Amino acid sequence: MVDRKDVLSTVRMLREENLDVRTVTLGIHLGDCVRNDPADTAEAAASKIRMKACHLVRICDEIAARYGVAVVNKRIAISPACNLLEGRDVSAALTLASALDKAASDVSVDLIGGFSALAHKGMTPGTRTVIESLPDVLSTTQRLCASINVATTHAGVHVDAVLLAARQIVRTALATRSRRGFGAAKLTVFANMPEDNPFMAGAVLGPGEPECVVNVGVSGPGVIKRAVERLLLARPKSSLDEIADEIKHTAYRVTRTGELVGREVAKRLGVPFGVVDLSLAPTPRVGDSVGEIYHAMGIEKLGAPGTTAAVALLNDAVKKGGSFASSSVGGLSGAFIPLMEDHALSRAAADGTLSLEKLEAMTAVCSVGLDMILLPGDTSPEAIAGLILDEASIGVVNRKTTSVRVIPVPDGKPGERVDFGGLFGAGTICQPVCPDGAETFVNRGGHIPAPIQGLTN
Amino acid sequence: MQSAEHGISMRLVSSTITGNRDSPVRHVISVLISDRVGVLRDITSAVTALGGNIDGISQTVVQGYFTVILTASFSRPCDAETIRSAILKNFAPDEASVVVRPYERAGEAEPTVRGERYILTLNGNDRPGILKTVTSFLAEKGVNIEDWFVEFHAGHVVHVGEITLPAQLDIRQLQTELKRTASALGLESVLQHENIFRATNDIGPIRALLEGSANG
Repeated sequence: MVDRKDVLSTVRMLREENLDVRTVTLGIHLGDCVRNDPADTAEAAASKIRMKACHLVRICDEIAARYGVAVVNKRIAISPACNLLEGRDVSAALTLASALDKAASDVSVDLIGGFSALAHKGMTPGTRTVIESLPDVLSTTQRLCASINVATTHAGVHVDAVLLAARQIVRTALATRSRRGFGAAKLTVFANMPEDNPFMAGAVLGPGEPECVVNVGVSGPGVIKRAVERLLLARPKSSLDEIADEIKHTAYRVTRTGELVGREVAKRLGVPFGVVDLSLAPTPRVGDSVGEIYHAMGIEKLGAPGTTAAVALLNDAVKKGGSFASSSVGGLSGAFIPLMEDHALSRAAADGTLSLEKLEAMTAVCSVGLDMILLPGDTSPEAIAGLILDEASIGVVNRKTTSVRVIPVPDGKPGERVDFGGLFGAGTICQPVCPDGAETFVNRGGHIPAPIQGLTN
Repeated sequence: MQSAEHGISMRLVSSTITGNRDSPVRHVISVLISDRVGVLRDITSAVTALGGNIDGISQTVVQGYFTVILTASFSRPCDAETIRSAILKNFAPDEASVVVRPYERAGEAEPTVRGERYILTLNGNDRPGILKTVTSFLAEKGVNIEDWFVEFHAGHVVHVGEITLPAQLDIRQLQTELKRTASALGLESVLQHENIFRATNDIGPIRALLEGSANG
């Protein structure tokens, strides 16, 4: 018999505290779709997606009903598109992108990721084709997401790729000027890109993965926040280690929900289950914010000294609870701090308490990086390249994933508010305290050598 | 026994049978009594003194009233009235109501309904007729109630029912109809497979949970 208190607490998490499965992402390897003609390659890729993912949404909906747990997004991550475009030009990339976008629409998934280029050590012609095609691809497709890996701990930072990526971010924003540069919100630049990340825009099926696999991203910032609030209501003088304990136990329950749903979806699809990504992924909704957790912990103004420590505490407790909950943990697995997608963080940026530089410090102790940040329209590619280099360096040296997803809003000015709607959220344009002055360094190109931490063999 | 601080609990089916089911003399015994320390001792000592072995038991306390249903197998002939009298002797006059009947169900107890276990939660303001309406609805659908608990807080009521759904039932259709039925009573209803509660509260591997469901 199930304990009635357990029933009531689980129902409360699901009904009142926004616990959901943020994404079920089906990874599909497309390496066998290469044909002599680019159009045939595109059609083969689309056909395979339609065949493998045709039941994904229906099955997710059935499992969601069975457990009373919302599966908010159903997505697809393909193997890196650069592998399908060796020896091809930008027009072939556009043909492929269009076919992928159409296939995603046909199977009714929200987004499809993996229009990706692995450029951390060098660039093949296919890699270059993907990167060069991004402004056209991201301005003409609806569901397709792209990513570029520019650094790893073992390879160091590929500065030429960083510069190219930065220029393409600006061009992509300009190509989607009518939507305030929204195209750039579908492009992430990584250091140490994970191969099993289910979250967008960076989802991709890495080279060591099965042909098809289900990866799951859980959510639950609201559940964690309420758990902290309940603890502090019952014991107002709780210490930080007691708060960490509470978060850890709650993260355990959140993770188990994700694994249950993911394993059952995988079983019904007849594919292996991959990982649960433990990340706390906020949405713009009130009550579903990572920033609110820091408020609950006692950080009244996000960005105040101590905020980075709060992020570190949360991130660590989530990992500990999640890693005990499941042996299949992967992806990014930490606390996200996407500025536009989290209303509390977004408000703090608008209020001026949370600066870009503080966010950068916070990314050193949590997952992802500078995510969903609006920049002024006149931000130079070199400044964006500098941001990417800084983030990549944090990732490379600390042997962790970092990323940059920034949107230089065409004609946008600091302080201006921009709303993309839906899960992409709204925010205020902000800029670095010192937006220029590193151009000479950035334009030297080449590589930043791998750090000594990469020499582990 | 300790009284429940809040709420009432109804266990409508007991399935804990562990003892000698092949005994020629087996009885089912039910006792209702105002709760106090030592009630179960007084019942079981009477049964044991008659040579009875208790091989199934379920007990609960509702608003200060203790109730137990048990089955016992006896090694020597023993009729229902003898057992009832022996139990009553351990209580004050009129303190307990005791019913004893010969156990009539032969062989292994079969599940009343074959299917998967779900948890139904209803919550809202209390009013007369909730249980009648909901249990009638469930009975019409062939749903068996395994356990039911009700908690009251200042006019607010929460029902938690553990139910087995016939395998052929369409869950989403049932959820829709339940919502409609509950809504007419001013209640919110949630129907979820029991595994979500096991996943979030147990510590065993999820894989084992799903394998258990597949075999169940």
